[in-house]
Amino acid sequence: MFYFFLRRLSVMVPTLLVISILIFVIIQLPPGDYLSTLISELQAQGEDVDQEKLNFLRQRYGLDRPVVEQYALWMKGIFMYGDFGYSFEHNLPVVDVVGDQVFLSIIIAFTTILFTWIVSFPIGVYSATHQYSAADHTLTFIGFLGLATPNFLLALILMYLANVYFGISIGGLMEPHFLDQPWSWDKAVSIAEHLWVPVIVIGTAGTATLIRRLRANLLDELQKPYVNTARAKGLSETRLLLKYPMRVALNPFIADIGNLLPQLLSSAAIVSVVLSLPTTGPLLLRALQSQDMYLAGFLLMCLSLLTVIGMFLSDLALAALDPRIRLTGIRQK
Amino acid sequence: MMTAVGRRGWKLSSIALSLVLGLGTGGAAWAGEATPKTYISPYYFGHSELSGTLPKVGQRLPKTPAVVRFAADQSPGRHGGTMRLLIGRERDTRLMVVYGYARLVRYDRNYQLVPDLLEKFEVQEGRIFTLHLRPGHRWSDGHPFTAQDFKYYWQDVALNPELSPGGPPRVLMVDGRKPVFEVLSETVVRYTWQKPNPHFLPALAGASPKFIYRPAHYLKRFHIKYADPARLKRATAKQRLHNWSALHSLKDNLYRFDNPDLPTLHPWRNTTRGPAQRFVFLRNPYYHRVDPDGRQLPYIDRVILRVSTPSLIAAKTSGGETDLQARSLAFNQYTFLKMGEKRGRYKVHLWRTARGAHLALYPNLNVADPVWRGLFWNAQFRRALSLGIDRHEINQVLYYGLGTEGNNSVLPGSALYDPSVRYRWARYDVKKANELLDGLGLTERNDRGLRLLPDGRPMEIIIESSGEHTEQTDILELVHDSWLKLGIKMFSRPSQREILRKRVLSGQAMMAIWGGLTAGIATPDVSPAELAPTNPYQFHWPRWGLWFSSLGKQGTPPALPVARRLLTLYRNWETATSQDQRARIWRRMLELHADQVLTLGLIAAIPQPVVIGATLRNVPEVAVYHWNPGAYFGIYSPDTFWIARGK
Repeated sequence: MFYFFLRRLSVMVPTLLVISILIFVIIQLPPGDYLSTLISELQAQGEDVDQEKLNFLRQRYGLDRPVVEQYALWMKGIFMYGDFGYSFEHNLPVVDVVGDQVFLSIIIAFTTILFTWIVSFPIGVYSATHQYSAADHTLTFIGFLGLATPNFLLALILMYLANVYFGISIGGLMEPHFLDQPWSWDKAVSIAEHLWVPVIVIGTAGTATLIRRLRANLLDELQKPYVNTARAKGLSETRLLLKYPMRVALNPFIADIGNLLPQLLSSAAIVSVVLSLPTTGPLLLRALQSQDMYLAGFLLMCLSLLTVIGMFLSDLALAALDPRIRLTGIRQK
Repeated sequence: MMTAVGRRGWKLSSIALSLVLGLGTGGAAWAGEATPKTYISPYYFGHSELSGTLPKVGQRLPKTPAVVRFAADQSPGRHGGTMRLLIGRERDTRLMVVYGYARLVRYDRNYQLVPDLLEKFEVQEGRIFTLHLRPGHRWSDGHPFTAQDFKYYWQDVALNPELSPGGPPRVLMVDGRKPVFEVLSETVVRYTWQKPNPHFLPALAGASPKFIYRPAHYLKRFHIKYADPARLKRATAKQRLHNWSALHSLKDNLYRFDNPDLPTLHPWRNTTRGPAQRFVFLRNPYYHRVDPDGRQLPYIDRVILRVSTPSLIAAKTSGGETDLQARSLAFNQYTFLKMGEKRGRYKVHLWRTARGAHLALYPNLNVADPVWRGLFWNAQFRRALSLGIDRHEINQVLYYGLGTEGNNSVLPGSALYDPSVRYRWARYDVKKANELLDGLGLTERNDRGLRLLPDGRPMEIIIESSGEHTEQTDILELVHDSWLKLGIKMFSRPSQREILRKRVLSGQAMMAIWGGLTAGIATPDVSPAELAPTNPYQFHWPRWGLWFSSLGKQGTPPALPVARRLLTLYRNWETATSQDQRARIWRRMLELHADQVLTLGLIAAIPQPVVIGATLRNVPEVAVYHWNPGAYFGIYSPDTFWIARGK
């Protein structure tokens, strides 16, 4: 068991290094750099640009050096000083830019996951135990509807309705006057009022997948002889369901935790952009668009790190839950 | 010759000019009225004044404040209130410098230069500039604003090799030579060049101005020459920067307005340090303008900028989340905005825009293909292309007929406007266009009716766009239909800005579509650089522009006689000493452009929707929305906007 963990851990480091190279190269792939993107943007707004200032900045940010050298400097900064670089767009070290948005991202993602689970577990279990009943068909239909509707469209419609009928301000996570205010009860209420739109929007798609997966897994298990045996021994239907087939059916969800962690940060970038949510998704998108490379690099590195950690955790959980996995690990050793 | 532009002189000339321009009855103006006897402080500072933390208003204002005179559509207002604006990204905090529009000299509503932060200025021979500050003028932190702030900028910023590795900014250099800078007294400075410097005053008045002064008392603590080295080092390390100059540059950003500690001279000062979603700007207690009754401006106490996704701004506007909005709103959202007027409690007005052409076609004179280059170099060919565009149809189909047709030239409202120039070779005439093309010997056609190039290929023009706006594709569709009648097939190829630029510069792209002249309402004092090959971003002659801007190190010298002629004219304009001379040169350049059809203007003056909150007063309903000169809302003086008591 111990070696299993150790091996898992030791693979993480080279993985992250390779990822960092890939990230850096991909960010650099589009033509131009942050400054040339800046010029184009300003010009598109009809503003003019000071060429001398740009040359000065290009030199200062080291954008005139070859990619390899820039990468080496970036890595050196991270390992030697814990310095993840500088955001050109925000004029701040990248770590300071991200701060608050991580927290809000986590709130949204967490609520969304909770919402999907609360909605989909009962439905999934019900439609598996009542296969092909009218209720199964109806619920499945609704689930598919959620899966098929483009998220951003749903976001726009809900946002409009919320504004017209409930007077909730468009986009954002709270009423404008709460921004930058210290936390208070009213602020929390305001966030709750705004939260339901993104949660429903991001949640609906996930709900359908979860329902289908749970239903399929459960159906597989319910056919197995041990279920009949248990039933023959007189176990109550609910107890039977929860104690055995359900437990096995959960395996894929545990394996999924690895994907949930990065989701906490990246939570549905497109929806966040449409709804103008102050989360990390839009921040990343904007950083990529404006080629604010260290900020984009930092966010992507965070996501990769979380994915890798998430995978590690789900490996642990699975090993704890399912002896088969544990045993394979030991046998290989 | 000496032009004193003080209290009186400019006023007469501005009236004369407003008659010429037909632009109406002057604007909010900056002198002329008698100074009010007493000054009225905003209630906002009532408490601080009583408790003694802030001096009384009389001591806060300069000895002679700038007195605003209202235009016909403006009226004196009341203090107080909050104005909300939406911005697309944090960087847009700089818009408060643009809108605030406190400049050493500024443009009035007739685009004449008038003193603003300065009490007056004198220009001799176009090369000696004497600037008189207002005695008693103070920065937003209460420290005096004096000649020392100019001296600090010139000696310790512009001439410091670490802060300005490229030397002083180009507008301060004439033929590569620095001016002589003198401090004549605590409130008078003088810049003397060897030759005239026509770029100097417009650069001070620009939407993104050259700041030739700095709050020295604040910045000295970040300057190696004045600061305690140990403390400076600690501060640099704390910001994770590598040297003091980076720290100084970070703190010293008067334009970006992102450092709440940096004193300002603008009507509102930033109080929010990024990153943030909401920026609060509070009134500057030491602001130098007052209204005729003596009320210290600005009227509005607070301005709040909220960051939002640009694509959501129209929707948020219709929900009433902004009091003054034009940014990120486009003409095609007009009907939507109009529909939301009642619910969002605002009015939407259409302001004129002032680009010489909203969109123009740029035949690439540096195209690599020798056959096409030969044709593009031929004025008759370019004229035929221009005559073959049905601008009226474009106007009707895409802009409800609200645009202005014609080529890429200055607009009505500019002192240089001449209808015969604007419409030369720009009226739809298929017959004439075909005659011109036949006259060039391009008479062979293939079985689809397309003309053939001299080497036998069919005439197919590919127009490349930045691929950002479907509007461009729509326009090109119409151009395609009308050019087909000339026997020319047109294809549009949307790409991406940076790629487009590279393809144009390398000669791979034949023709590009892009916005036209930015100086659509130019005065003779505005630089005509856009009309000459001076910049590699000019899509009709990028390599010639590169040659000029790199001082001959890259690119190629202009080969077409008309381009050389335009460059000579531009150089003449730079050394011209009188406005008459400059006006003559401008006219000649515009004339050459129109006659030679170097760019093909499609449509101009597409209205800009401007949303004004129901309680916001003094924002003109009929106006021009333009970057420079204009600074968008800037020349209409947002410090004189006020909020009426509403529900």
